[in-house]
Amino acid sequence: MDFVSTEGTPRGLFTCEFCELSTPYSYYGQKPPNTRGIVLLEECFVMKDPFSPEKEKFLILGSTCSLCHKTVCIGPDCSLFYTKRFCLRCVKEHLDQFPQQIQTELLKKKPAQTTGSASS
Amino acid sequence: MESKRRRDRRSWDWDSTECRAQLDEIFFRQHDYIQAGSPEHKEFWAFFERFQRFKQKRDVSGSNSNDEGGWEKKPRKSGDVNLGLPKEYDARYRINVSVCTRDVEERFSGSERRQQSTSGPGKEEVATCRLTLLHFLDFSQRQSFGKLAKLRREQRKLPIFQYRDRIIELVKTHPVVVVAGDTGCGKSTQVPQYLLSSGFSHIACTQPRRIACISLAKRVSFESLNQYGSKVGYQIRFETTRTPATKLLFLTEGLLLRQIQQDATLGQYEVLIVDEVHERHLHCDFLLGVLRSLLTLRPDLRLVLMSATINIQLFSAYFSHAPVLQVPGRLFPIQVIYQPVPPEEQPSRSEKLDPRPYLRVLQGIDQRYPPEERGDLLLFLSGVAEISTIQEACQTYATHTHRWIVLPLHSTLSLAQQDKVFDIAPPGVRKCIISTNIAETSVTIDGVRFVVDSGKVKEMSFDPKAKMQRLQEFWISRASSEQRKGRAGRTGPGVCYRLYAESDYEAFAPYPVPEIHRVALDSLVLQMKSMGLGDPRSFAFIDPPPAASIQTALTYLKEQGALDSHEELTSIGRLLAQLPVDVVIGKMLVLGCVFGLVEPVLTLAAALSVQSPFLRSSQHNPDCATARQPLHSNHGDPFTLLNTFNTWVQVKAERGGGSRKWCRRRGLEEQRLYEMVNLRRQFKELLKSHGLLEADQGAPCRQDRQQRRERHSERQKLHRLKRDHDLQEGTRRKVLRLEEGGEEGLGSSGSEGEESRKEQRDKGVDIQEVKFKLRHSVTELQEATSTSQDLSSRQQALMKLLLCRGLYPQLALPDEHNATRKDSEQIFHTRNKQGVIIHPTSVFASDPEVLHLPELESREPGAEKGESCKHQLLAFVTLLETNKPYVSNCVRVPALQALLLVASSVDTNADCTRLVLDGWLELCLSHGEAALRCLSSALMLRAEWERLLQAQLHQSTRGLAGPGPSRKDLEKLSEGLVRFLLYTEVSYSLRRLSALEIQNLYIGPQGSTGLNDTPVLNNLFPGMETEPHPLKGGLRVTSFLTYNCLANSKDLYSECLRTFWSCPNCDLYMPLTPLERMHHEATCRPAGEIHPEQEQGDGMGAGSKPSSTSSSLTRLYHCDICNKDLSLTSTEILKHKRQHL
Repeated sequence: MDFVSTEGTPRGLFTCEFCELSTPYSYYGQKPPNTRGIVLLEECFVMKDPFSPEKEKFLILGSTCSLCHKTVCIGPDCSLFYTKRFCLRCVKEHLDQFPQQIQTELLKKKPAQTTGSASS
Repeated sequence: MESKRRRDRRSWDWDSTECRAQLDEIFFRQHDYIQAGSPEHKEFWAFFERFQRFKQKRDVSGSNSNDEGGWEKKPRKSGDVNLGLPKEYDARYRINVSVCTRDVEERFSGSERRQQSTSGPGKEEVATCRLTLLHFLDFSQRQSFGKLAKLRREQRKLPIFQYRDRIIELVKTHPVVVVAGDTGCGKSTQVPQYLLSSGFSHIACTQPRRIACISLAKRVSFESLNQYGSKVGYQIRFETTRTPATKLLFLTEGLLLRQIQQDATLGQYEVLIVDEVHERHLHCDFLLGVLRSLLTLRPDLRLVLMSATINIQLFSAYFSHAPVLQVPGRLFPIQVIYQPVPPEEQPSRSEKLDPRPYLRVLQGIDQRYPPEERGDLLLFLSGVAEISTIQEACQTYATHTHRWIVLPLHSTLSLAQQDKVFDIAPPGVRKCIISTNIAETSVTIDGVRFVVDSGKVKEMSFDPKAKMQRLQEFWISRASSEQRKGRAGRTGPGVCYRLYAESDYEAFAPYPVPEIHRVALDSLVLQMKSMGLGDPRSFAFIDPPPAASIQTALTYLKEQGALDSHEELTSIGRLLAQLPVDVVIGKMLVLGCVFGLVEPVLTLAAALSVQSPFLRSSQHNPDCATARQPLHSNHGDPFTLLNTFNTWVQVKAERGGGSRKWCRRRGLEEQRLYEMVNLRRQFKELLKSHGLLEADQGAPCRQDRQQRRERHSERQKLHRLKRDHDLQEGTRRKVLRLEEGGEEGLGSSGSEGEESRKEQRDKGVDIQEVKFKLRHSVTELQEATSTSQDLSSRQQALMKLLLCRGLYPQLALPDEHNATRKDSEQIFHTRNKQGVIIHPTSVFASDPEVLHLPELESREPGAEKGESCKHQLLAFVTLLETNKPYVSNCVRVPALQALLLVASSVDTNADCTRLVLDGWLELCLSHGEAALRCLSSALMLRAEWERLLQAQLHQSTRGLAGPGPSRKDLEKLSEGLVRFLLYTEVSYSLRRLSALEIQNLYIGPQGSTGLNDTPVLNNLFPGMETEPHPLKGGLRVTSFLTYNCLANSKDLYSECLRTFWSCPNCDLYMPLTPLERMHHEATCRPAGEIHPEQEQGDGMGAGSKPSSTSSSLTRLYHCDICNKDLSLTSTEILKHKRQHL
């Protein structure tokens, strides 16, 4: 299969198991190619940032939930990172272990969830 | 280092550039992820400021630290799993990126010592910067991901999304698939992407419009996350973004047809998508026909037709019942209100449109909908005149209410003005866009909530009888009506006011008439011929055009010499088929090459192939008119265009981008001039590739390295400018000013306001100028045009002749009473249409006197009334009937000379004093002697012209092998033509024959008893294969000249017609009939000119034997009196017979 991407050969198709966002990725790991000095704190699905003209700029698509091991995108409606990646479902299950800031944040977000777009 | 000299570490200032530079050395080095000086670097520091402000604010409110730690004390509910999260909240824990920068590297390598000893950033500052950088990286990631997520979300919301797998499966399993979906279903953007992502890799998608190719390529490359790659590209006539990496290409239908012409199997593509097939454009209908037969050659080819849900079965059935996938559209509900125009407001034929029904709608909207509820109005009218009538009325209303900005939209507006309909109205104000049907499909304007549909459209139709285009007003079809309505529901629920009754709607035709049924098919038939598609009459079109249309085209192409009598392509036809222009214009190009008038002819051909650069709206602006004056040529509009182009090139060479202002002053649309430059170059390349023009032998870049480098770096700069522009394009929409509607449109497009506004919008970068510089060398162009800058009168005469021969038979005769009429009432007659008028844009509309006969012409004694040697005709490019039949783009030519040189039928009486040209123009010359002289020079010039033209064409079709016409011969011919055109001083009368006269024009065939058998006749014109004309009677002397076929003429052989004449070339002196004399002249050349193989034997001696080197002009002649067989030329035969008298 030939997926659309500029950089390198796409490794496969990344699909978020929650929102079904799906797009080809070109790297999986903690050290995106051509990015000296950058280290990711989790194993990520990465592609070249399609919105930047520069080849070295990368875009993290998602990773694996540290609890349920489902593939999840980094969108705020699907997962959050707090020293580790958690899908939102797992976060809710263990909400009490998360700091207050995160708890209030999640409560606040609920009504706006349908329109929720990432931090743009 | 400067930083070392600074002692005071406490003087750290985040805003100081020096301090920032020090941090840059730690975080943004050459090889770091973000480099100092890059756009991201700039963004970082902007982010830094925001981030610090945000932190300060939070620290002041201090809300965060209060409840910190409180949560951890609560007992764990889900006690089974310990997530091992840190006890104290820190936003940094939410970032999944870390960065290795200089400080970290140094820490690891133990070279930390430098840090303490220096001034510059302390640990604290470095830490702050590092933290901010992490947040910045996280922020950019979220931002980009947000874009991606939004994109994917929107794609999934499109109605077509749920059919994705079905479409891919259908295409994989069927050679042809029809995807039918209405506006907004997303087919044009999504289907190509679906196929691309499912593994197809050479996809072409055709569009009826160039602009759609560009915008779709841009959108799809963005959506397929390839906006900076070239996987998705477009190709239109002069522009392409295609590279070897391109997998999906948007191109025009015409271009794909050209590609098929080059490669009949179209091997370069795996999938072809033909979009908007329901629009039924000529090219599209033809393309479908071609593709249908191509499918048998290419069973692996996949064809996808995309259409609105109009007449889908037609397309499916045409491709042996291809599967149809129907996708619902995405339109908001639209309320339809029928408001038929009351009878008292219906305009009679001659009157202007009554604006009251339209004003009522505006008022109604104002009353019913509060101004805060946004939504613009789109009004469909049939034509430009209607638009300006309604615009005027609406503008008055708008000025009064301050609630509307009235904007016209049609294709003759400048592009800047057209562009304005996309701008945004200020709050509380609505746009009222008054448009032709251009807004029905070609132009899509978002934000329209109200549509007013007049139900009318002006459509071009072709009248094959009069060879005339006709722009007529019709009721629209139901399909168009629905399309117009749909324009109100693209962004929200809308209202459509139909200014006709529901019963009218029911009576409309279901679909518009396909273009192939309405237009002249000349170019189409020519293209079919060159693609080897066999007899156009039996081609399996999806909806075959009327047989008469094809026949007319075939006849026309034969008349033009593009097809021979067997309907096969001639060499000139083959060439014309390659040129993407009208046959007439192609002909001019070829003719221009022969005479070394290439440069001006290239310009002319380009100028006549694009829309006029002269803006109609500026016509009544006195400043523009004055500024344009020096460009005008009273020889004709093509020469005005030539002057304009040449002067523009001059301005460009001197002032570069300043040409934009120059154009605006003169009411010129510069875009058209850019198109002309491009077209001109394309023509030149085509002529070169066909060997009609020598490839540039000159100067293979004698530039030194320095110059080359300069040129290279300039090009790089230009490319960068272009890329920046492309990226920004469409992102800046201006807010309109309330007064914006009125001022222009009603005239002054050259106003300063407009100018500064435009400049502002373009931020000083004139992208057209950039593209121009990338594509052309101004100096080269300047050189090329300077040769045509000041045409000598001789060159001008030749140019006119070329134009005339190219345009033939598009000729018009001034009415004989024009001199006594007002300027506005000058009328002209063409062969098939009487009483045509010169289009007001033509130079002859404002200056008709140059077409009148000089009033006080000193008449020769005995000259009859109406005789003159100054009669002129107009050759014209288009004849278009709107409310009146108009000719436009005219050039004046001397009548007698031009006719004798280009007419395809010249009929004479016995002494050649009465000539009928093409069966409708009669020339009477009172002097038989002069008449003969004229006719015979014309004959010789034409024969020579034809010979050289053929030689040139043969040479071009056979590569460089054949001997082209010699320069000497060409010079002699042009010399002769010029002399004939300029110095033929013969007085004649010129008139159009009446219908009755035309009916009884010819004597007709002279019975079977025998002219054919008469040996005299057979032998009269041996070189010319004379024969009695089967229909007209008389003798056919050449393909165009028929002698003595006019009724009421004197008898062919009456001896009284013989007059003594001495040949200037040989010593012949004897009484000859006009025919005999013409013939002698045709064969007798001055001594120096005789070609060796044409050496004439001395035939005078009655008994001379035929020489072995007898010329091809000699014939076997049996003299009954001598009873001998002689090989003689016709003149010799005549001389021989004389001996026996």
